[in-house]
Amino acid sequence: MTEGQRTRPADAARRGRDNILIWQAALVVGLLAIWEICGRLTGADQVSSPSRIIRTIMVWLGGELYPHLFTTLGELACGMAIGCSLGILAGLVLGRMPIVSLILRPIIVGLYSVPLVTLAPLFIMFFGLDLLPKIVLVSMVTFFLLFFNTFTGAQQVDEDYLRTLDLMGASKFEQFRKVVAPATAVWIAGGIRIALPYALVATITGELLATRSGLGFLISRAAERFDMTSLYAVLLILMTIGLLLSEAALRLEHRFLRWRQVAE
Amino acid sequence: MNDLTPARAVAADAGTPAAKIRLLCAEKTFQVRGQDIEALHPTDLDIRPHEFMALVGPSGCGKSTILNMMAGLMRPTAGEVLYDGQPVTGPNRRVGYMTQKDTLLPWRTTKDNIRIALELKSHATPRAEAEDRVRQMIELVGLKGFENHTPAELSGGMRKRAAMARTLIYEPETLLMDEPFGALDSQLKLLMLDQLQCLTQHRRMSVVFVTHDLGEAITLSDRIVVLSARPGRIRAIHDVKLERPRDVFKVRFTPAFSEQHERLWDELKDDIIKGTDV
Repeated sequence: MTEGQRTRPADAARRGRDNILIWQAALVVGLLAIWEICGRLTGADQVSSPSRIIRTIMVWLGGELYPHLFTTLGELACGMAIGCSLGILAGLVLGRMPIVSLILRPIIVGLYSVPLVTLAPLFIMFFGLDLLPKIVLVSMVTFFLLFFNTFTGAQQVDEDYLRTLDLMGASKFEQFRKVVAPATAVWIAGGIRIALPYALVATITGELLATRSGLGFLISRAAERFDMTSLYAVLLILMTIGLLLSEAALRLEHRFLRWRQVAE
Repeated sequence: MNDLTPARAVAADAGTPAAKIRLLCAEKTFQVRGQDIEALHPTDLDIRPHEFMALVGPSGCGKSTILNMMAGLMRPTAGEVLYDGQPVTGPNRRVGYMTQKDTLLPWRTTKDNIRIALELKSHATPRAEAEDRVRQMIELVGLKGFENHTPAELSGGMRKRAAMARTLIYEPETLLMDEPFGALDSQLKLLMLDQLQCLTQHRRMSVVFVTHDLGEAITLSDRIVVLSARPGRIRAIHDVKLERPRDVFKVRFTPAFSEQHERLWDELKDDIIKGTDV
């Protein structure tokens, strides 16, 4: 009796979720169908159609896509790696040094107030047309996001934890490693998750401005040729990359911070 | 043989062997919104080596302040705190301090929390031995089966016990405890008192123990300091003349215990009634 009562709401919830999924799928299929019909009726290049986009992607998957994909992902990965490490390091250090952070605060806030993508032309002038300017741009964007997140986290470390370790005889370094670092990990993971889409935007923006390869290059080439099908195809690929990255980041965050979910 | 006597005499002059911890006219005033609030009136107090001392008194009588000063987390506004005859000027690493708040690290499991002191260079312990001691401690405080739980998954009483295990595992020579058993039910509390008595007697630790529970204080202590309400000051120091070792489960039914309890209660009741907002 009680068993039945307890499972029934759960069942209903699952059925509700299934229903939502069905509706969502129907909506997407419906919209794609309308697009396809419009595309076929008008035959216009600007409209294109899902079937043409898929065909383009299939052709690209035969080989042409990979160098561009690797360029973009490479820039993204390098930029994230550099920006994240520097941002985390700076956040941890300044977060635990209130005086230094007060001194540097105006500089950091000032720099951050500049819309970073506007620096892209500058970086292109400095670093040329290849990978380097995009990596620098992505690094800058991720640096600030990671810095602010880590900084906030490091400032909010519970002083009682540090005092406890101090009385046990922990050195400053041990207090840092055993308390500050793990306590800040939540903020760092959150920072990485937030930074990923921004980093992707920065990469593509850099490539749109000047480049010889990469997904951004595919977009600008398609636009120059009024080849809307290719353009839509790149957008679809970018959307997929974005979704996959944020899903991966979320999974990673959950795996490392399981204790946090219990605490909440 | 003869050499020992003068040496000891000199040491006694310096005040070292007589007192493990000594408050000399120590007072503490807090600034709250621009107002001075005297938490502790100038106070003299000696804690003897290997002594178990309880501090009892109404809320806000400066018990925690005294512990914080002994641990070196707080400087007295005036006066001095000596440990082994040396002034305490920074965090006092000779003491293990179990604060009211448990400060277990939320990302560590019970067993990792308890082990933490043994991971530090200052208490460096081989891994196998550390595991062994952690297991013993977990058994001692009755947390078997909860080794891999995080603090958020433990009850208030379990967290207290984990915090106690974490403090006891590195065997500090002096133990400061701030209401360690407040959240425990009475049966469990007796078990914990028993374990604590065993350990502290066996390791000959000096203990300063803050509590609201007079029974707990009498059961464990050599001396009980009764403090009066704000500003905190020492009202009386009672010697507990119960034989050691004491049976924590039975000692409370002896006449000597009842008599001690009555004397303490008489000392305290006015202040407690005054300090309670009825």
